Amino acid sequence: MTDQPPPPRPASPARKTAVRAAQAGINIIWLVPIIALVVTLGIAWNAYAGRGEVIEVEFTDATGVTPGETALRFREITVGQVEGVSFTADLSRVVVRIRVDKDVAPYIDSDAAFWIVRPQVTAQGVTRLDTVLTGSFIEGYWDATVSAPQDRFVGQERPPLVRSDTPGTWVTLAMENADGIGEGAPVLYRGVQVGRMENLRLADTEDQVIADAFIEAPHDKRLTTATVFWDTSGFSLSLGASGVSLNVNSLSSVLQGGVAFDTLVSGGQPVEPGHVFALQPDEDTARNDILASDNAEPLRIAMLIDDSLRGLEKGADVQFQGLRVGQVTDLAVTADQETDKIRQVVTMAISPFRLGLPAEATPEDALAFLQEAVADGLRARVASAGFLGTSLMVELVDIPDAAPALIDTGAQPNPIIPSVPGDLEDFTASAQGFLSRIGNLPLEEVLRSATDMMNSVTAIASSEDTRAIPESLRQTLDQARGAATDIGGMARELREADTAANLARLVDEAAAAAEAVKLAAADAPEMVDSIDAAAAAVEEFNFSEISAQAEGILADLRAMLGSEDAEQLPRNLSDTLEAASGLLNDLRDGGAVGSLNDALDSASTAADQVAASVQRLPQLIGRLEATAARADSVLASYGDRSAFNTEAVNMLRELRRATEAFGSLARLIERNPRAFILGR
Amino acid sequence: MTPDQPVLTAHRAGLVGCRSCGRVWPVDRETCDRCGADLVPPDRRGLQKVWAWWLAGLIMYVPANLFPMMRTQTFAGLQGSTEATILEGVVELIHYGNYDIAIIVFVASVIVPIAKFLSIAWLARVAGKPATVDQAQTRLKIYEVVEFIGRWSMIDVFVVAILSALVQLGFVASIHPGPAAVSFALSVAFTMLSAQSFDPRLIWRGLPLRSRTDDTGQD
Repeated sequence: MTDQPPPPRPASPARKTAVRAAQAGINIIWLVPIIALVVTLGIAWNAYAGRGEVIEVEFTDATGVTPGETALRFREITVGQVEGVSFTADLSRVVVRIRVDKDVAPYIDSDAAFWIVRPQVTAQGVTRLDTVLTGSFIEGYWDATVSAPQDRFVGQERPPLVRSDTPGTWVTLAMENADGIGEGAPVLYRGVQVGRMENLRLADTEDQVIADAFIEAPHDKRLTTATVFWDTSGFSLSLGASGVSLNVNSLSSVLQGGVAFDTLVSGGQPVEPGHVFALQPDEDTARNDILASDNAEPLRIAMLIDDSLRGLEKGADVQFQGLRVGQVTDLAVTADQETDKIRQVVTMAISPFRLGLPAEATPEDALAFLQEAVADGLRARVASAGFLGTSLMVELVDIPDAAPALIDTGAQPNPIIPSVPGDLEDFTASAQGFLSRIGNLPLEEVLRSATDMMNSVTAIASSEDTRAIPESLRQTLDQARGAATDIGGMARELREADTAANLARLVDEAAAAAEAVKLAAADAPEMVDSIDAAAAAVEEFNFSEISAQAEGILADLRAMLGSEDAEQLPRNLSDTLEAASGLLNDLRDGGAVGSLNDALDSASTAADQVAASVQRLPQLIGRLEATAARADSVLASYGDRSAFNTEAVNMLRELRRATEAFGSLARLIERNPRAFILGR
Repeated sequence: MTPDQPVLTAHRAGLVGCRSCGRVWPVDRETCDRCGADLVPPDRRGLQKVWAWWLAGLIMYVPANLFPMMRTQTFAGLQGSTEATILEGVVELIHYGNYDIAIIVFVASVIVPIAKFLSIAWLARVAGKPATVDQAQTRLKIYEVVEFIGRWSMIDVFVVAILSALVQLGFVASIHPGPAAVSFALSVAFTMLSAQSFDPRLIWRGLPLRSRTDDTGQD
């Protein structure tokens, strides 16, 4: 092997290759990794620089938020993505980490608002139904100004109703209570929605509810300091002189409430954002609230009153020359230090404009005007107002002979206008008297009596007896007429007889006595006794013929008087018969027996006729009695006759009048049934 | 040739091999008469190319793994778009239970490139260094494997390319290649270039002049 030539040596040792490689210059191929590195680093830097900034937004819950998927959108363009979701330290809220694109990140500052967009069903409609398909996303809103960046936000529970960049004006509405007004309630101007209400909340200091109202441009130009707002929530039902009126606004305002505004007086100043308006309960109030509608500052002035102010309320009118110039704004009590009297302080707000001063008049101008007027005798006084005079108002009236007085301009807090006592007592007294009279009316008794009377009348009217009355009356009258004819004939015969004067008087008296028959009923037996005595005296009379005649007469008379009916003959008849007895005595003593015979003959005839007629009289009387008894029994049921009768007659007259009134009302309703419901 | 005999390499024989056709020529020849290629003697300076491509490939491999490989958009992005890097894709596949596909993707996109980087780096590092014949043969085998398998690393890029082309369903769903796809493709290309730049003749340069058995015999 040693013979063999040594193997050929390499041209250069391998080690030298390495050395040479180390010593060799930089090959151009190294540009490739350098370029690759530069490109990669460039991409990396680009990715890093463009990956945006992380902001954190707190939500109470993160419904539908998925890390890595849920997007942050601004004007419906995705500008970021949720990177992670975690909790706050107390686990009460969810913190959503959002990577926001670099180009919009600077704009996300303190004015940014975030909310989770989900499908919404409200009174205004259904919105964001697309999120049902795509899943909810976070929407953000911020303005175009760049201010101090912020990376921690508190998300809103629901989308803001008005985006912060919407042109318009925010004003504040203050109201007594928020009945019927909901979040997002529309703000209407002449029925057109021009804004929304938001942030309904309780005022911190006052017992009020305040809300922010947003009026979109350009409608916010219609807002001035003289603008009035009123509540249009729900519907209103009013019953007044003009009938029933039902006012319903849009269905939305029924569900959600709403407010409307109008500028009733021109010349108001443009409002600054945040201007506070008082929300009036309804449109009428708003339109009548002159303090709200007048743009000028009202003059506040007070008056002192000794009298009770019952009936005077806040908001009562202040009238001047019969026109409203202001209203009572406050009622208070003050103790007069000097006289130690308690006095009422009525504070009023008076519109200078309404006093007739120029529109730009200030309260000072109004005060000067009133000072002059007071010097001329203007005084304030409380007067009654309203239909029944139960409410009060303040009047500024000229009292020509008033004691000189001036406005106490130095009084605090408001100047005091001199006042005169109003006609309050008179008013109070008359009103009280009026009311007490009304209260004292025995309405219940009257009604009860009326009811009883009606019942009795009904009972009587329906009874058979009552129905028989007319017929009986007619019969009675017929018989009475017949009796009167008989009596007339008899009297004529008696008158024709020469010696019948006494008898005629006797019969006349008997006829007169018949009128009081029933009063003498109790005395009838005595009368009969005396008649008997008279008859006995006649029997003792010796003139047989006369006696026989007289006996005939007396027998007739006895027959007449012995009858049941005759027992009720009056005492006057008894007196008359006593006189007759006296006459017979005279006759017995007298000597003209022969002529008496004739006279007695005719008297007997007359007596026969009288007896015949008298025999019919008891029937008449009995019938009259029966009728009277019935009438008695009828009337007896009404208690005290005369008083009740009067009242009943009055009552019936009233009833008739009432019936007539009912009749006319019924005719009116017949003609125009709507009038009953709607008034005229 | 017995193992005891020192290996006669072309270099020791005063020859130089053509890298195109493999024919050997005397060292002083400039061009290969058979294929016309330039005859370049093996030189460790050529390793600079290897290292340069290798580094470029390695650099591109970083964004390939950090950036999303593929962006899936459903419902025109309303439903959200899904972006996944290679490893996220693998995890997602495992999550969905597609273990076999996950393994394929993982092997093709992660194991193979990394193995290639390691292999090339090691080959370039040890090229020209003294080695036994066995070691030289191992290096040669590794080199061949790297050469062969390099193109298969593109499988991920092909998947993305095919899906991007096929899944364009408009509103419903669409797939777009992410920045990682380009990076990955470049990375694979660079490593392939790196592997090609490697001169396998250097493997044989570091062989000892005497066989290993001689060394042991002397001991």
